Amino acid sequence: MRMGIVRGHVTLNLAVPSFHGRRLVVIEPVTMENLRAGNGKGGGKALVAIDQLGAAEGQMVAFTEGREASNPFWPDAVPVDAYCSLIVDSIDIHR
Amino acid sequence: MFLARIEGTAVSVVKHPSLEGCRLLVAQRIEADGSAPSEPIAVIDWLGAGLGSTVLVSTDGDIARARLGNNTPARMVVAGIVDQVQQSESGRRE
Repeated sequence: MRMGIVRGHVTLNLAVPSFHGRRLVVIEPVTMENLRAGNGKGGGKALVAIDQLGAAEGQMVAFTEGREASNPFWPDAVPVDAYCSLIVDSIDIHR
Repeated sequence: MFLARIEGTAVSVVKHPSLEGCRLLVAQRIEADGSAPSEPIAVIDWLGAGLGSTVLVSTDGDIARARLGNNTPARMVVAGIVDQVQQSESGRRE
């Protein structure tokens, strides 16, 4: 899982049926430098992920990418390649 | 699979139910030349890797599926704790 900060939401008009009612968030991945500094900045290339946890803007999340991102919807086949797995409460980085 | 160094720990209350009770570590991938990519990763650890240790991370979710159920989004897990890495002189990092 990579880690990132939620920067916003995406609303779809037309969507494939398996996306109906799903919540999409925009995530800005965080770099190690910014994570160490704890400055709330991201630094990575933004992506969109499915969120079932209710992550708010500014919160740090860890997201799964790839085939495993659609596992939570198993046995349904859902075209998801990024999924918010957890909301990070605190991080303790070894300095 | 790749090598990574454990940089810290993460705590999460709200998460996918399958991840309940999992130990979550923050790691940074190590390249052959000793450099590290800019982004950290969160890995699940069942072996008890310590801070600063080098681990082997598997990006295959099947290990996690077997332990946490078919619905788990977990993917990167610590597959082993590294004792020693042998590299040729040209690619040595330490």
